[in-house]
Amino acid sequence: MTQPASRSVGHYQYEERDRTFLQERINEFEGQVRRRLSGELSEEEFKPLRLMNGVYLQLHAYMLRVAIPYGVLDSRQLHRLADIAARYDRNYGHFTTRQNIQFNWIALKDVPTILRELAEVDMHAIQTSGNCIRNVTSDEFAGAAKDELMDPRIHAEIVRQWSTLHPEFTFLPRKFKIAISGSPEDRVAARFHDIGLLARPGENGPLFRLFVGGGLGRTPVVGQELFDSVKEEDLIATLEAVLRVYNAFGRRDNLYKARIKILVQTIGLEAFRKAVEEELARMDRAAYRLTSEHVAQIRARFALPDLKAPADAADVLEQHKKADPVFARWVASNTHPHQDEGHICAVISLKTPGAIPGDVTAEQMHGLADLSERHSFGEVRVTHLQNLVFGHVRKDQLHELWQGLKALGLAAPNVGLISDIVSCPGLDYCNLANARSLPLAQKLGARFGDADLQAEIGALSIHMSGCINACGHHHVGNIGLLGVDKRGAETYQILLGGDAGENAAIGGILGPSFAEDEAVDAVARIVEFYLGQRQKGETFAAMLKRCGLKAFKEVAYETV
Amino acid sequence: MKLFDLSGRKPLEAASPVPFAEWKETRQGTAISLAPDVEVEELRSHLGSLTLIVLEFPVFRDGRAFTQARSLREYEGYEGEIRASGHLLPDQAIHFRRCGFDSVVLPDGANVKDWEDQLGRYQFYYQNTAVSPV
Amino acid sequence: MKRLSRPGEGEILLLTASRLLDGRIVWLGEGDHWHESIAEAVRFTYEEAGPALERALAEAEQKEVVAVYEVVARDTRPPEPVTTREAIRAHGPSVHPDFSYDHAPVREKEKVG
Repeated sequence: MTQPASRSVGHYQYEERDRTFLQERINEFEGQVRRRLSGELSEEEFKPLRLMNGVYLQLHAYMLRVAIPYGVLDSRQLHRLADIAARYDRNYGHFTTRQNIQFNWIALKDVPTILRELAEVDMHAIQTSGNCIRNVTSDEFAGAAKDELMDPRIHAEIVRQWSTLHPEFTFLPRKFKIAISGSPEDRVAARFHDIGLLARPGENGPLFRLFVGGGLGRTPVVGQELFDSVKEEDLIATLEAVLRVYNAFGRRDNLYKARIKILVQTIGLEAFRKAVEEELARMDRAAYRLTSEHVAQIRARFALPDLKAPADAADVLEQHKKADPVFARWVASNTHPHQDEGHICAVISLKTPGAIPGDVTAEQMHGLADLSERHSFGEVRVTHLQNLVFGHVRKDQLHELWQGLKALGLAAPNVGLISDIVSCPGLDYCNLANARSLPLAQKLGARFGDADLQAEIGALSIHMSGCINACGHHHVGNIGLLGVDKRGAETYQILLGGDAGENAAIGGILGPSFAEDEAVDAVARIVEFYLGQRQKGETFAAMLKRCGLKAFKEVAYETV
Repeated sequence: MKLFDLSGRKPLEAASPVPFAEWKETRQGTAISLAPDVEVEELRSHLGSLTLIVLEFPVFRDGRAFTQARSLREYEGYEGEIRASGHLLPDQAIHFRRCGFDSVVLPDGANVKDWEDQLGRYQFYYQNTAVSPV
Repeated sequence: MKRLSRPGEGEILLLTASRLLDGRIVWLGEGDHWHESIAEAVRFTYEEAGPALERALAEAEQKEVVAVYEVVARDTRPPEPVTTREAIRAHGPSVHPDFSYDHAPVREKEKVG
């Protein structure tokens, strides 16, 4: 294993007490497993406890979901995840839409040992499931993107710490997801979280626009703005207030109506805001004030990359692109502008057409960790679209990185294109699924795998879920697919027009569901229709608006 | 009934609690029990005459009483004993204490050591609460 | 308790569960032993399955299994589950032929960890 970098870039650097805390948490979990095996805890009692530590009982085995706070990993952590995949899983890890990684073939008796191995590299599985505050997600280009207003990761870490084993909010009516971005381009789907935060700098410190009650699942809802400008010192108090109202009044009699979105819908945004303001008025504000000293302490534990690039770095990249059109194509789709002229963000597609979206082998993980040390300060980010990002790559070295990725089989030039398909694990692994999602994702990926075709189609997202819980975020894909069980047969609904960003929208259902192969053909006809009918530069969403869902429906059902 | 002392703040009350709705009628005694759907503001004018409030857990997953307890302390300034009763797990011991509970009614067959171990498990906590500052 | 699934013509019922220690799928075989291979599963009629399921649930703690329930299967050798979900449980994930249970039916012998 490669020696750990002296100081990792991009995430909070643990101190001794954080490490002690993880050990204490593992001891607690180990005791819970022991009490389960001795019969002291029933399965009904054990289940919520194991879930709060990321352990699910899935279709074939236990699944362990490991937290990657705000999606940032360092190279020694990625090496360790690879070791765990090889030793305790079947050599794979699966990156999820919540910036976590899952292992699908875990034995319960191995979990305490795995947790100790994770803790050695400052990782854990705390609150990656259960009815508590989940892993905080953030922008994959945080601290690097040219369009960024402020780096959201400091506050993401503050929220992570605040939510960890929170005594009042560990037995909520249902799960609670928080996302935070510092860019005007909403790359975290802020309006589809229980709480979405958009951070921006203000005259007297950061301000946070707070959305509440968004979410997908059975009842997709676009979150509403609760507050326009929460001050930094009030951030924790405001989160406390929202959670207090939710914990007291969220429904507990019906699993499907227990999320905060239902509470906000039922009483209305105004009444909800009033309740939150009442909490804030009564709260012991001193106890919950986020002081600038505390923020500074957390900020000091984030190392910044030393961005030095030769003056001609951008020119060298242009030369490389000219000399190698295949590389140029990858650069066109798989990079994002960096704040620094000499650097660029590289997106590594985990959607090689025909492969399983989000799956990475242990060898690939080791290889990626090595490449990150050479090319991105040992830092790797996980995106909510199941890809990886190297945040700070020198432009003159991008070609070398690309060659390294090619050698790992991870140079698919399709980020943001039609074969960059987001998919949940579906019925092949998941206990809740109604239909398989991976085979359909593979078929669609292969159908549109040709790089020329993809480039011609341009930006177009396909999101695929195997059940109504919507882990594949099918409601927000330009094209969404939802697996439905129709009297024992797997069928697929098609939705069109979803958008996770600034123009948040929930896709409309096209009509009756299709059998698997029919669904692939129907998507192909929809795409063909788009190619044939679009006006110059017209996006899929724009054309859908112009032509209407009905026109697409006619095309989709043409020969069925 | 076996009690477990979480806070060591003061001797535990021996009085038998009366359901709040019943107590409101008679005002007999100083101990009440409260269902999780009652808002603690309803108690405001009565708190001076109460020395024990028992918060009920129909099932351990129902976390409303954590908010009730913390509200009693932080919002209402109640200083008497707060006790948890019902379906409870030792895994919740720290959360009880940190939200302002003083005691729990141990479930039948409870292992006291599990409760003691849990109380001493962590050296520090990540968040401040008004009831138990870091 | 939830109503038992009713097998159709040429179908039988099997009992399945997940093993507590490692989460692996098991099928109830002769002598109330849980096996990893569906080929070892005892076939029940609708009438027999009810009492067998009750017994299996009562013994679940002691046998260290969880999530015990019945599965409708075609009465073939080995039995073949009717639904896609149960077929995937019996044979392994469809997207990974290399993880198929059919190649290595006796997983008890496999080295774990």
